[in-house]
Amino acid sequence: MQELVSVISLGSIYLLFSLGMSLTWGTIDVLNFAHGSIFMFATFCAYLILGKTSLPFLAVVGIGVVVGAVLSLLVQVAAFEPILKRARNKRSAEMQILIGGIGIATIPLAIAQVQTKSNPFGLAASTFHVTVWHLGSARITNVAVFTIVVGLAIWGAISVWLRRSRQGLALRSIGVDSETASLMGINRRRLALGTMAVSGALAGLAGVMFTYTTSAITPESGDTLLIKAFAIIILGGVGSMAGVAFGAFALALVETLVLTYTSGSWVDAVAFGLIFLVLLARPAGVFGRKEVRRA
Amino acid sequence: MNILRSRRLHAALAAGVVLSLAACGGGGSSSSSSASSSGGSSNLPSTIKVVGSEPETGPAAFAGLSAEKGYKLAVKQINDQHFLGKDTTMDVTFQDTKGQIPTAASIVSTVVPDKSVSAMFGSVSSQEAVAQSPIAQKSGLPIVYTQAGSDGVVIGNYTYRATPLMATYYPVLKKYVDQNKWKTVGVIYTNASPTLVQVATESIPKLGLTVTKSIATTATTQDFSAPIQQVLATHPDVVSILQVGAANPTAMTQLRQAGYTGAVLGNSGASAGNLKPAGQDGANMVWATDFNYQQTASSSQKFVSDYKAEYNENPLQYAAEGYDAAWFLARSIKDAGSADRAKIATGMAAEAKKKSNGALGENLTWKDGTIQVPGSAVQWTGTDEKLLYSATS
Repeated sequence: MQELVSVISLGSIYLLFSLGMSLTWGTIDVLNFAHGSIFMFATFCAYLILGKTSLPFLAVVGIGVVVGAVLSLLVQVAAFEPILKRARNKRSAEMQILIGGIGIATIPLAIAQVQTKSNPFGLAASTFHVTVWHLGSARITNVAVFTIVVGLAIWGAISVWLRRSRQGLALRSIGVDSETASLMGINRRRLALGTMAVSGALAGLAGVMFTYTTSAITPESGDTLLIKAFAIIILGGVGSMAGVAFGAFALALVETLVLTYTSGSWVDAVAFGLIFLVLLARPAGVFGRKEVRRA
Repeated sequence: MNILRSRRLHAALAAGVVLSLAACGGGGSSSSSSASSSGGSSNLPSTIKVVGSEPETGPAAFAGLSAEKGYKLAVKQINDQHFLGKDTTMDVTFQDTKGQIPTAASIVSTVVPDKSVSAMFGSVSSQEAVAQSPIAQKSGLPIVYTQAGSDGVVIGNYTYRATPLMATYYPVLKKYVDQNKWKTVGVIYTNASPTLVQVATESIPKLGLTVTKSIATTATTQDFSAPIQQVLATHPDVVSILQVGAANPTAMTQLRQAGYTGAVLGNSGASAGNLKPAGQDGANMVWATDFNYQQTASSSQKFVSDYKAEYNENPLQYAAEGYDAAWFLARSIKDAGSADRAKIATGMAAEAKKKSNGALGENLTWKDGTIQVPGSAVQWTGTDEKLLYSATS
């Protein structure tokens, strides 16, 4: 029972983090490797503000969301848009955005490292206190409940919006063929900015919830989750909302089971090994669609 | 064509000017560390150059920057006291390894051919130190490390480590274990640190404890719920958390959420305020350390007093180790009576046979190139460190 609670709780964190990355990658073709830095830096900003004044839980969450959204918008405007304008073709744009994201990520990382000397930091100065509830033999915290409920709710809302709304359809069409979408009157730039803002907000939210769950992160914490998010999205299938949810909870399940029943040294090897085996069978991911190209 | 020839001529002239300036400006290379400008006593030059390499940025920056403070304080005192002679001063410059192994190795490679540099202070990071040591040893460059507790760091007569191996002072916790009458322990340790692997597998059992469950976690483990569940299921008398960085407060928080309220045996990686984010959940972790600012040895308290006067804060163990490392080098140079690298190495060997007093304590000895320290037991109260006792008290 406790293992199930751990899987759902950990999977929800992974879902919140990966959702933003999957959203931009699957729709506007931006694989944002600055996502991990945004996740960390949004929390770092909340930590700095808490150093001046104690704030309640929702205020801290709000700070994380807003900072994440703003940072993501800045990255899009200052880095990714110029790259897209200058790129010769889509393929070179994707590679340059990937490299650009890695480069951009070092800036917030360096700022946080200098300020904290890479010591752990957390949100303990807020007025919010983690409470443990008992469900039979299992335990769950109020933070975990919030993460699960909010994570699944946001995932569901985004999935429905992408599928059913006109704007969602417009966004998906950009992912299929941005030129044609533009010709159909879709404002690519506005949708891209909105998508990046939502993605950044999700990263910031994930950062705050993750820090409340673990009590502390370091400036490098985002990098670890970034690799996992990448694996989650590939496993589930790029562009698939169902896939990212599957990938998040599948990875959480494998990690928890390995940690529970074996020596923890095998966690990464087993988790990523399984992902590799799945991809051998389904290269597009579990929920990925096969690409159709005209001859 | 004429324009192109003209541009080539300009480029050649510019290169020639640059090369000429380089040849004239490189004064350091024209005099070996053992020759000329004999401003000091014996054969010591007026300036003895030492290069330090520490991670000033990156994951280990907290340790590197603290160590540099200790080095700088020691060098300041060495010069103020004219320890190396009335007209001889030690000049140390630090370079940032950026937490990267190639950068750390490159720093040593750059220093080796510069004969004006007599010795080096090596990186606190084991991974970087392991890359630096072979270069230094093979080239005959004396290098003193702090921290860097893995194998492959102290590999010969040019390499020394002014931090004791954790396994050598961890037994100081036996008194604490005996006082609490604990018989069994559950251990959750990181396999990313060779030092902590050794503590988990060798040192903990030597405290007289039977290990009921021992779980290794990786450097990427961020959720400790499952290993904690496993350990607590075996009902040990005490739990040991041996982690680094943010994993310490995370594991402590989740351990308390799991209902464990007792003491926890930790490691000095939880020091330097690393447990602060856990708040009161971090309280009652106890670890062995080679230095705590509250230890009562008079040489330690003298260091603490001098450090506080200089930096207006209490020193961490990294600063104390750096301080002692610098003084060890200074004594070795004085012993050698020369700034020549080979002679300094001889001086280090001689100094390592003597007992010394320093920040880490009194009557300290060396064994196989590594300093030996009896150690102290420290408890985290939730807000600060509290010295429980020292091995010598």
